[in-house]
Amino acid sequence: MTQDNRSGRPQGRPPEGDGRVSRGEASLRGPFLLFFVSAVVWLLAASVLGVIAALDLGSMVGVLRDCAWFTPGRIATAQQDLFVYGWGFNAFFALNLWLLAQLGRFEFRNGWLAQLGGVAWNLALTYGVARVFAGDMTGYRLLDFPREVGPVLAVAFLLAGFWPIVAFARRPTGHTFASQWFVVGASFAFPLIYLLAQLLVLWQPASGVVQAIAHSWFVANLLQLWFGASALAAIYYFLPKVLERTLTGYYLAPVAFWTFFLFAGWTGPAALVGSPVPLWLQSTGVVAAAMMLIPVIIIAINVLGTLSSQGGWARAWNDTTLRFVSFGAVAFTLAGVLGGVFAFRSMSAVVRFTSFATGLEQLLVYGCASMVVFGASYFILPRLTGALWPSAKLVHVHFWATALGFLAAVVAWLVGGWQNGQLLANPAVAYADVLRAGSAWCLVLKISAVLVLVGHVAFALNAFGMILKSSVPADAGRHD
Amino acid sequence: MPAVTTNRTPTMKNLNTLLAGVFLAVALPFGALVLSGQSQLGGLGRAAGEEGGALFPAREPGLAIQGRAVYVSLGCVSCHTQQVRPAGQGSDIARGLGGRPSVARDYALQSQVLLGERRLGPDLANYGARTSQINVETLLTDPASSGAVWHPSYRFVDAAQRTALVAYLKSLRQDYPSPEAKLKK
Repeated sequence: MTQDNRSGRPQGRPPEGDGRVSRGEASLRGPFLLFFVSAVVWLLAASVLGVIAALDLGSMVGVLRDCAWFTPGRIATAQQDLFVYGWGFNAFFALNLWLLAQLGRFEFRNGWLAQLGGVAWNLALTYGVARVFAGDMTGYRLLDFPREVGPVLAVAFLLAGFWPIVAFARRPTGHTFASQWFVVGASFAFPLIYLLAQLLVLWQPASGVVQAIAHSWFVANLLQLWFGASALAAIYYFLPKVLERTLTGYYLAPVAFWTFFLFAGWTGPAALVGSPVPLWLQSTGVVAAAMMLIPVIIIAINVLGTLSSQGGWARAWNDTTLRFVSFGAVAFTLAGVLGGVFAFRSMSAVVRFTSFATGLEQLLVYGCASMVVFGASYFILPRLTGALWPSAKLVHVHFWATALGFLAAVVAWLVGGWQNGQLLANPAVAYADVLRAGSAWCLVLKISAVLVLVGHVAFALNAFGMILKSSVPADAGRHD
Repeated sequence: MPAVTTNRTPTMKNLNTLLAGVFLAVALPFGALVLSGQSQLGGLGRAAGEEGGALFPAREPGLAIQGRAVYVSLGCVSCHTQQVRPAGQGSDIARGLGGRPSVARDYALQSQVLLGERRLGPDLANYGARTSQINVETLLTDPASSGAVWHPSYRFVDAAQRTALVAYLKSLRQDYPSPEAKLKK
């Protein structure tokens, strides 16, 4: 079935790994587990804050909302930062490192450096979030931490997140696979965009609305080039790996990679349509968001095409890893298509300033990236710890609670946002009535936040139980 | 299927090519969007809407600058925007949020621009001009009695900070003509 090129290696699927845990993989255990455990701890913290924030929604009374530390503005900010920088970054430090070590047969000799970076990252994050709760934040979403935190996070990233590039450079063969490009791109792009944004937004602020332009540029890059690219790397790896099949139309993958990186950086100003910034900037953003349909369609051909042939969906559904990963692949496609369509002026006039943008962002950051990380953990952790997942029931609770909770929230954000926008567009409807009309969606969001928390607790119990239980040396690990 | 030659393409194998490509993918949009935005808008300053008229935007009072810090520290920006979109792009003007669309010049003197991305509450770009009749202080401490829907109470903010915040909110106004946008009559 596999197509061999002249050197006899299969194309469109990652090279066959050893069934047993390799020495290289065993050398990853320390850094991987540090990143993974921190990620899950931050995920739990973010989900608890998510529930508090959701209970605040759409009511005059909420939990703790008369307390300065828990005023809604700070809760929302801290929740987002913990989710993105705590969960999102630690999780992909772990996953990207493992992926490129696997694909490049990398033996990690300087694991302590990555662990040092991980510790520095988490300490800086803890400090930053504590300052947010104390009210010392910058007002720029996802650049909220006081500016002294930025350089620390950047250095910590270089220590913790740069190893995939080393693994790529030291790979023994000349061959590469799509996952490697995406991880190298993500690991290299993030420090650049983070430092440039820190500089122009916090240290040497640009004048006037240019701050908003720089900020929109940063947010779009962060979401696409870190979360999007990292998640795509994992999708491209696990799908053919677990299905033991070649990706459909794999020869298009380099085009997907380059167009993805080429257009993603320009999409930022699409979030500024109607804002007091030059029209040419807004139009550039809209065009770039529409051009993103090219990589999105190619990736859909590669990924959804593979799933759609030879009963792929059924097999994916019956495999825990693939169930999460294909959920992520569908969410990525949906986010890309909706992002392209709703960037256009007439559409964004309706949904601008509503929850619609949150919905699109969460499709990428949660529906795609987080679900893919969950799926990947079900594959990787048994290999690294040499143990089995303690409870199959908790795995089901995890999937159903997060999947249903997330779907409910995304519908509330997208459909609720659209309805909200339609009412707002009609000046005859009073503003207070517009808000009240959204009450039902607020209830959905509350239920969803609780469901998602339940799912994350189930995942954490299962994962931590497994890590604590594993006294078996990693070399004796099994591969299922 | 034709013979697949992806891995034979040197660009996908060479780390330097890969990194150079990604660098350009980050640097070009940054230069074209952010730096050229700066060169286009960086020189904006006060200007008169009509020939011989007063210069706007007005300089911010010191108390308002302190109030902005309070606004930022409470996270107000997560629910309030400060931008009025032009007619045809939403109903901002029709709803009376402002007499004209916001323009870049309105923000030229602000050390920190808080355009905002989400409206869980009303837009505040022109709040000072819209709310001369409303007791902003009461709205902040006892929102329910002021008829605000969902607004949190900020009783925990001390009096000095609250005064600064109120001064800041009242200083937010875009009710003057600008060379880029005329006021709606």
